[in-house]
Amino acid sequence: MRPYLATLRRYGWLIAAILALVWGAGLASAYVDYTTTFESDATIWVLRASPELLVTSPSDPSAPILQTAASQQADLLDQLLQTQSFVRDVVQKTSLSAALAAAQDERRFLASVGKSFQVDTHGTNLLTVAYISHDPKIGPEMVNAALAVRADRVAQASVTFSAAASTLYQQQLASAQTQALDAQKKLDDFDAEHPAPLSDIQQHSRDQLRLTLDFAQIRLGDIRGRIDQATLAPAVLAVSGMEFQVVDQPRVEATPRGGTKPAAMTAAIAFAAGAALVTLLVLLGTILPSHATGPADVARLAPMKLIASVPRVSRAQGSVGSGDVRRSLGAIAFGGRREKSGPRG
Amino acid sequence: MSGDDSMTRAFDGLASRIDALGARSVGFTSALLGEGVSTVALGTALSLAELRGDEVLLVDGNWLQPSLSEDAGLDAAPGLADRLARATELDAAIRRTPGSRIAFLPIGDRTSTRPALRALGSFVASETGSFETVVVDLPPILAGEPFVLPWAAVLDQICVVLREEATPLPVLRQALGRLHAVNAPCIVLNRAKPSSVDVPAKLLAART
Repeated sequence: MRPYLATLRRYGWLIAAILALVWGAGLASAYVDYTTTFESDATIWVLRASPELLVTSPSDPSAPILQTAASQQADLLDQLLQTQSFVRDVVQKTSLSAALAAAQDERRFLASVGKSFQVDTHGTNLLTVAYISHDPKIGPEMVNAALAVRADRVAQASVTFSAAASTLYQQQLASAQTQALDAQKKLDDFDAEHPAPLSDIQQHSRDQLRLTLDFAQIRLGDIRGRIDQATLAPAVLAVSGMEFQVVDQPRVEATPRGGTKPAAMTAAIAFAAGAALVTLLVLLGTILPSHATGPADVARLAPMKLIASVPRVSRAQGSVGSGDVRRSLGAIAFGGRREKSGPRG
Repeated sequence: MSGDDSMTRAFDGLASRIDALGARSVGFTSALLGEGVSTVALGTALSLAELRGDEVLLVDGNWLQPSLSEDAGLDAAPGLADRLARATELDAAIRRTPGSRIAFLPIGDRTSTRPALRALGSFVASETGSFETVVVDLPPILAGEPFVLPWAAVLDQICVVLREEATPLPVLRQALGRLHAVNAPCIVLNRAKPSSVDVPAKLLAART
């Protein structure tokens, strides 16, 4: 430990300079980051719990995970914000579209924008969508654009889903209609072939045919109801707007907000970098000594031989310092002729 | 133990070892400025005078920073440079202090000449022949090589002063590489930690 402490003392000023430079720059950067960061957020009330409330864990498909409406929508938004097409659509709705067009590396630009979004849940039905930037006007624009693009995407997905469902139900409807017509024809044929009164066996057969027809007609009605539901439900939800209500609209912030975390991160990185540099310097300074640190180093200068060591004199040893020693020696050698003391050789 | 005592002991030890080497003329230099050469030369001269019981000629040969002459208030007085230029007599240039065994030769007018090998050879061998001991304070090797090498050729012993935990070893090696002395230079570790002070005595004892 002593060699490391000696190195620390030897490079004290250099270490102080490095720390002042790195920590100073880091703290300055953190301060600038903190004072020029503006966070704008929207609070959203998610009313409807999805029918797919229970999702399975990939690690254990048998174990269901309860997902609230808020966390489901937050996950959905998070996933959308990781896609370039979504972020591109968002940016193109804002004043950043010019910057996107001018960006040399579009992928990096979009990734940077995506990372500036933050989606958090608050309870079971509340979530916030925030955007952090150095321009207070950009935040509300970006949040509003993200919500708008999300709404477009959801509506588009609903239409696509209802179209697909309608196609499927139409096919099932055609099949059910055929079955119902067949059942009706069989019953009519039976009635034509067997005039009343019917025997017990004939009556039983007719009841079976009637039951088959009833089932076919019920299925037909059910499929028609599903078709109506698939067509109307998304439209009803979209019109009502109940699924995704923006409770608090994003605002242009007048005072810096949301920069604490990045500023703390910058300061922490600067602190760690300074400490790492100093540690490296002390390690290298100790392992690779470049100065004569004692007689052992001088012994390596053979054939030159060490013949004497003159101790260092500090003021802690009474009132005598190295300058005092020189003056004392001069007084003995030169007596009263000594008049001034210049730089000591 | 006070600072004065430890320094006196150190200079006495250094003087004893120089005496044991049988050197009449000793020069002190360093690799870089600020290593404490003049202080070591001054202290060693005093200890040698005490040890040998005779007058010691202390020569300020530091053409770059003649701090001994400045300390003595003789930086404008005629001295070594004037003598080498034959501009003054040696006895007139040497300053003695009553009660002190140090005869001091200040640097003189440094602009008048530079130390040449022939002049220095004559100076050390003949002109200072009346002194049993000659101690020369020299400039740093790397900064003042032309002012050190002629002395190294004519002095019996050259001592290189280095500061513990301050003098870079590569620089020291470079300086020693330029020093072509008859005898291998000896090293004086200046401003040493207390743990390093007794080591040279042990090393020398082990060698003998």
